[in-house]
Amino acid sequence: MVRAAFTESWQRYRERAQRRWKRWINRRIPPAKQVTLDQKRVFIFPTRIGFFFLFTLLVMLVAAINYQNNMGFALTFLLVNIFVVAVLHTYGNLAGLTVHAVRASPVFAGQRAEFEIMVSRAGRRQYFGLHFDWLKQDSAIINLDDCQQQHVKLYLRTERRGWYKPDRLRLETVYPLGLLRSWTWLDLDIRALVYPRPLASGELPGVSSDQPDGMAEPIPGSDDFYGLRDYQRGDSLRHVFWKSVAKGQALQSKQYTAYADRSVWLDWALFEGLPPEQRLSHLCYWVLEFDRRNEEYGLRLPGVTLEPDSGENHRLTALRQLALWGSAAEDQAREPLRAAA
Amino acid sequence: MKLEEQIPRNALVWIIATQFVLLFPHLGRIPLWVLVLYAATALWRAMVYLGRWSFPGGYLKSSLTVICFSGVWVSYGTLIGLEPTVALLLIAYSLKLIELANQRDAYMLIFIAYFVCLTEFLFSQELLITLYMCVAVMVNTTSLVALHQPGQDRFNFSTIRRAGAMMLQALPLMILLFVVFPRVGPLWNVPLKTHTARSGMSDFMKPGDVASLSLNDSVAFRAQFEGEVPDRSDLYWRGLVLSKLDEGAWRSLRWRDIPGDQRRGEQPELVGEYVDYSIIMEPTQQNWLYALPYATTRDRGILRSNDFRLVSPVQVQDQKRYEVRSWLEVPLDVELGDWRRGVDTSLPEDGNPQTRVLAQQMFEAAGGDPEAFARSVLDMFREQAFFYTLRPPLLGENPVDQFLFGTRRGFCEHYASAFTWLMRAAGVPTRVVAGYQGGEVNPVNGTVIVHQFDAHAWNEVWLEGQGWVRIDPTFAIAPARIEFGLEQALAEEGSFLAETPLSPLRFRGVSWVNNLRLQLDAINYRWQLFVLSYDQERQYQILNRLLCSVGQSQLVFLIVGTWALLLVPLAIAMVWRNRGPRLDAATRHYQEFCRRLRGAGLPRPGHEAPTDFARRVAEERPAWAEEVAAITRCYESLAYAGDGDPAALAELKRRVRAFRV
Repeated sequence: MVRAAFTESWQRYRERAQRRWKRWINRRIPPAKQVTLDQKRVFIFPTRIGFFFLFTLLVMLVAAINYQNNMGFALTFLLVNIFVVAVLHTYGNLAGLTVHAVRASPVFAGQRAEFEIMVSRAGRRQYFGLHFDWLKQDSAIINLDDCQQQHVKLYLRTERRGWYKPDRLRLETVYPLGLLRSWTWLDLDIRALVYPRPLASGELPGVSSDQPDGMAEPIPGSDDFYGLRDYQRGDSLRHVFWKSVAKGQALQSKQYTAYADRSVWLDWALFEGLPPEQRLSHLCYWVLEFDRRNEEYGLRLPGVTLEPDSGENHRLTALRQLALWGSAAEDQAREPLRAAA
Repeated sequence: MKLEEQIPRNALVWIIATQFVLLFPHLGRIPLWVLVLYAATALWRAMVYLGRWSFPGGYLKSSLTVICFSGVWVSYGTLIGLEPTVALLLIAYSLKLIELANQRDAYMLIFIAYFVCLTEFLFSQELLITLYMCVAVMVNTTSLVALHQPGQDRFNFSTIRRAGAMMLQALPLMILLFVVFPRVGPLWNVPLKTHTARSGMSDFMKPGDVASLSLNDSVAFRAQFEGEVPDRSDLYWRGLVLSKLDEGAWRSLRWRDIPGDQRRGEQPELVGEYVDYSIIMEPTQQNWLYALPYATTRDRGILRSNDFRLVSPVQVQDQKRYEVRSWLEVPLDVELGDWRRGVDTSLPEDGNPQTRVLAQQMFEAAGGDPEAFARSVLDMFREQAFFYTLRPPLLGENPVDQFLFGTRRGFCEHYASAFTWLMRAAGVPTRVVAGYQGGEVNPVNGTVIVHQFDAHAWNEVWLEGQGWVRIDPTFAIAPARIEFGLEQALAEEGSFLAETPLSPLRFRGVSWVNNLRLQLDAINYRWQLFVLSYDQERQYQILNRLLCSVGQSQLVFLIVGTWALLLVPLAIAMVWRNRGPRLDAATRHYQEFCRRLRGAGLPRPGHEAPTDFARRVAEERPAWAEEVAAITRCYESLAYAGDGDPAALAELKRRVRAFRV
């Protein structure tokens, strides 16, 4: 009883502390596309090894006292002060760096999204052992010694469709001595678009089409090749006739007969009775499937209608609609999310 | 293994280098097989790096450890004492290398290395060693830095530069701490040096002992007089009084040889002239201290023996500084106790019969007067064919007979010994005193440098009414030894430091070598005086002087303030260096212009080109249009022409200055 109450109040306390921490860090290091690290944004504390080093120094001090050895004192004090100046040097190994958000690639829910960031330096100082750690899911170590900038790619797990905006990225370093760690929490204002997880549904239950004769069951494997045409923007790269490209001719796309003149409506209503997320997953699957077959398809969601079309751009639009369906209007805007205060 | 836990190749190389750098100064005092162990572990670790060999298994490691520990035990005969302990530490340090697999092991190794640096100082704190250890600390710190440069496998200078910069920055702070950190006494007893060779005089002397010391050109001690340095022939540094003849060797009285009521000795009346001086003695691993008679000291840690010498209750393991006041004219033991007389007239029952007969004859010839008798013995040495030599022939049975009637060649201990025999055979209380005579006055700082080759033996004869009187038979044979030193006395023989041909002391004739040597010695003396002998008392004096002017509570602020004063510029320099590349002058002027417009509510976003901006400003504030256009034109021509025409730059500057919103 008491224990449960205690756990609960502890939980409440933790949540409150976490909220307060978020508020504080958002004030101190506000989200931004690029952050230049300075004394306001860099924290520093001894590492475990640092404390062990201080313990070693204590032992050395005791030895110097017991042997009344002046050079022993001198050595110990030298090391103490190396520890002290290491505070500046460890801080200096982050200060002056600028971290930029570059891009985040869209993924299907459950996959890892690729986030690309760039680190650059202003002066000529050499930076070593910059350790990126994002949500303990992915990490990378880079040096910035002989180049002005470096790109880092980190991969984060996604779970739900929609915009995925990961929590703060941790950038830390223990260079030069490993006795102290300086770090910062960066909110790079970067988000990845997460499409629904594609979910196969055997067959499309009763495809709706505008043309009555257009009704047809898609027959797998019947997409017969019938000819080539000049590549047009929007044609899938998978349909490019690479052999001709290799011969030095212009880009050409392969054309397939099946359903080429038919358009299918992928409709929300096709999956009557299923929960919304599952419907979206099935629709996603079919978007990919029709795109693969290079057929035209339209998308109909409550409040959203996408005229039948095919090609890369159409696919991306459809997927984006599926990813963002039902989310708040400002979320759908192109502007990235402002972090919730 | 994760990248951050791997040991970069550079770090591995530096760690192994540190091991050899640290081992080197220890080489003289550890068994040679430890060096072999170091080479073997380094080779092994290198092979592991190359992928040829693997790390040793647990069984091999533990047996290696056992073997090495037994090795220490065999080499030293014990595991107790400072030297075996340090040897064990050095071995552990070496063995750790072959299990160096990840970053944690590397930290262990590097921290042990810092501790090994400290152990070297327990044996020597000389200036040269200290400088060498600075290099060692630097190399070790470099390996710590290299450990945090992931993936670096080619030598780069940034590692050393960083380590060096940190050490240099830490140096002033270190000096501050060194001065103010409170010095307290030892917290508990620690293992002492037990295997280090004792140096200098020993407490027994047989023929040839002092002569062998005369081959040694190292420094025994340095003395700094308050006033003028006394005459060279008065510099008889007493160290030991040898009263007892033991199997052909003269030896000092042990504590248990002295009856309880005699142990304190007489307290002579302090009259006449005195000299004040301080001595910094090199470690001897012995108890006695050297001083001119009759020596008194205010140092509470120093005792006085019953034969008027200064004695340290603990062996002199490190350089020791003490201050002495010597009363040169005070008579010692004006009243001679029976016990003392007995000790200082005793001779073995038999042996040297000719000497005994000669003593009786000469004593009678001198009319039974000890003083006249002593004088006649000295005359004999002077007038007959006695020789002063570093290479005397060996003496067999009845050595004094052989010496007086046969070889007649000897070093100071032969003469001192023969003189004592003669005097004691006639019943005159006489003893041998061992110590150093003379010394070299360094013109640079006025210290008297006493070398091991200044070792000497002379006599003290007790005369009624005068107490113990110093008589130096060597002076009768070779006055040059006393007046000018050993080198002069042996000039003909050419045997001075004959076995160390490169000793700088042999080149005293070459003036620049000699100057250099004396300058170095002066630096060494200052080092000993101000750094090595900085102790509680010194600290008290210095802080007291500080406290007088600033007050006790302000001292803390002073320390913190000094600390901050040293650190803040460092921090500023660091921030300064991190600024981006300096903008060219034209851009700076243009930015100043933009800043003024922003003040007027017309900010320029980063993406807006200067001409667009100028157009926009002109639309919103037509009054400024002309000036803004001129400035923009000026800036654009400067920015894109690229040659930085000074006239155009000056114009831009003038226009921006003149621009008022």
